[in-house]
Amino acid sequence: MYQSIFFFCFLFSLSFLGVLGVLAVRRAGLSQTRAWCYLVWLSWQRQARASQMVWIAVGLLAFAVALVAIFTAMGAWSMHYWRWPYRQGPTFLQWADEIQIVMSVRDSSASGQGVQAALAAAVRGIVEHSGFAIFSHWGVFLLFLSFLLPLFNLSFATEALGGERESNSLIWLLSRPLPRPAIYLGKFVALLPWTLGLNLGGFGLLCLAGGQPGWLAFRLYWPAVLAATLAFSSLFYLMGAWFRRPAVAAIVYAFFLEVILGNMPGYMKRISIGFYTRCMMFDAASAFGIQPERPDIFLPVEGTTALAVLLGLTIALLGIGTVIFSRTQYQEIV
Amino acid sequence: MPDLLDSPDSGRGDRPLTAGLDLSFHETINPNHSLTVAAPTAAPLLLCQRVSKWYGPVIGVNQVTLELRSGITGLVGANGAGKSTLLRLITGHLRPDLGCIQVRGWDAWSTEARQHVGYCPETDAFYEEMSGRQFVESMARLCGYSRREARKRTEAVLERVGMAGRAERRLRGYSKGMRQRIKLAQALLHDPELLVLDEPLSGIDPVGRWEFIRLFRDLAALGKCLLISSHELEELEKLTDHIAIMAHGRIAAVGTVAQIRDRLDNHPLLIRIDVRGHSHAEHGNEREARRLAAALLKLRDVVGVELLDSPPDESVDPVLVRARNPQRFFQELTHLVLEEWYEIARLETLDDSTQAVLGYLLRGCSA
Repeated sequence: MYQSIFFFCFLFSLSFLGVLGVLAVRRAGLSQTRAWCYLVWLSWQRQARASQMVWIAVGLLAFAVALVAIFTAMGAWSMHYWRWPYRQGPTFLQWADEIQIVMSVRDSSASGQGVQAALAAAVRGIVEHSGFAIFSHWGVFLLFLSFLLPLFNLSFATEALGGERESNSLIWLLSRPLPRPAIYLGKFVALLPWTLGLNLGGFGLLCLAGGQPGWLAFRLYWPAVLAATLAFSSLFYLMGAWFRRPAVAAIVYAFFLEVILGNMPGYMKRISIGFYTRCMMFDAASAFGIQPERPDIFLPVEGTTALAVLLGLTIALLGIGTVIFSRTQYQEIV
Repeated sequence: MPDLLDSPDSGRGDRPLTAGLDLSFHETINPNHSLTVAAPTAAPLLLCQRVSKWYGPVIGVNQVTLELRSGITGLVGANGAGKSTLLRLITGHLRPDLGCIQVRGWDAWSTEARQHVGYCPETDAFYEEMSGRQFVESMARLCGYSRREARKRTEAVLERVGMAGRAERRLRGYSKGMRQRIKLAQALLHDPELLVLDEPLSGIDPVGRWEFIRLFRDLAALGKCLLISSHELEELEKLTDHIAIMAHGRIAAVGTVAQIRDRLDNHPLLIRIDVRGHSHAEHGNEREARRLAAALLKLRDVVGVELLDSPPDESVDPVLVRARNPQRFFQELTHLVLEEWYEIARLETLDDSTQAVLGYLLRGCSA
């Protein structure tokens, strides 16, 4: 149900983009539609010229995947080897065995034995199925969502227009008889395969390296990753149209503002993209007991609401970017 | 209008460059002396009306009015005079802060206007990873041509700019002249009525320069309108005798070089001469300035002389001279100073625009 809504919204937004692009070029004649399609193709090709930021992102992804694979090999995505007291006491698995033994000694009645068996099985079940929760916390929320996802997005999205501005080659697009809104939307459409590929592909690799919990995480979280990618891409792409140094502005936003806003108490965190992405993930994995550490402080929203906000934000940011790009005089490129 | 890609009739290039050109600037050496040409009879190809553009507190283009219909117009001026800003305004890369610019009746910022304009920018940035042919073909595809039509046009324009046999190499390995040719080729792709060329001859060897000049003449003969900027008057004079001289963001003069010179000759120039006291014992400072003023009044081009008060803490006496025919006046002044041995501390033209025009005419004209 939830994923169907997502698909519907995603397809709708893509169609919306396409219609906007075609509408933008129709004013200037039918052949301009062909020019717009070629612009998308050309921009997609030119995005392949990996910039330094993209190589950094790919390197970090390789490092993260290797790290996760090592942890998986060590069996780190489980509470089996956690100890209580910390580092000194028995492992959680040993505790589970101990609890079963102690309880069976205390009450030998049949009903008591039944309750004890159920309790012990529950404890053992929690310990044995803890892998998904731990992978979600460390692998998804901390490593991917807070660090890799914004980095992957900004490495491509700021480059789409920012790179053209920096190399002064934007002048060739602006000299063509193509409407500026069509240029902006066309380059965004060309950007999407790269950001979606890197983010979903990177997330997939990370989850693959995570083993069984990773596979479950991918199945549950990919819609949130997709929605977050759209929102981050449109934001960083907008920065490329707005700022002369978009990469710096994007880094400041992703690693300072997002972190600060995302940890603000109350409703302030609701202006960060990361908040809605987490809400979608919490909602998707609620059946597995994944929830915010302090729900009364985090104040999560429904998954569908979060999805609607992220898609709405994507469209709004694209609209704002289109207006800015259409009105800005890029004095540095001419 | 004949298609650019049709084989050009070289014979038509013999047509006088002035034919069909109707250029009217309302900016003149002196605002009181209008150089306005007859009013246009139909909608002009390019119309700039009192256009001004600021970069923060600095004015880039100041109240420029310009109307072009066809032919070649040269835009000349020193670095920073405002030539490139004016061209960027015309090509819709910048928006005027005041006034308006129209290309065939469309606002220059609009997409419709860009369909009529081919722009060869001064900037030397390309898609460096592409070959010259790939780049030009990409530009053609971005104009909306089909792959087949784009290839056809690409070959035609590469042939026209003399790059057909050399366009396979990557752009990053091109010389400055080859890059200029590729820039020109992409500007010609969609057969625009108005070609705006920013320093197109810079970096081109003499043979290539001659080929370009011939090409520009051919294009003009086909009815195209070319606006070509350069900082060398001599270069533009070979191409056209319709020149606009820009200085300090304004059109300081416009017309043929001869017309500009004539107007300059008839326009009294205000010159300040600071004369210092010297070794002649019998002459004090005051008398030295008076002696110079009397000598100046005997010159045929001087229409007035005024003695000004000496500035405090300076041992000079300023003399304000109003003279026509500046070129002849300065020659005679030089003779006068050398013969009578005046010690001139400073010689300054008090009209910036006139000074700029004069500078160009004195430097760039052989006559």
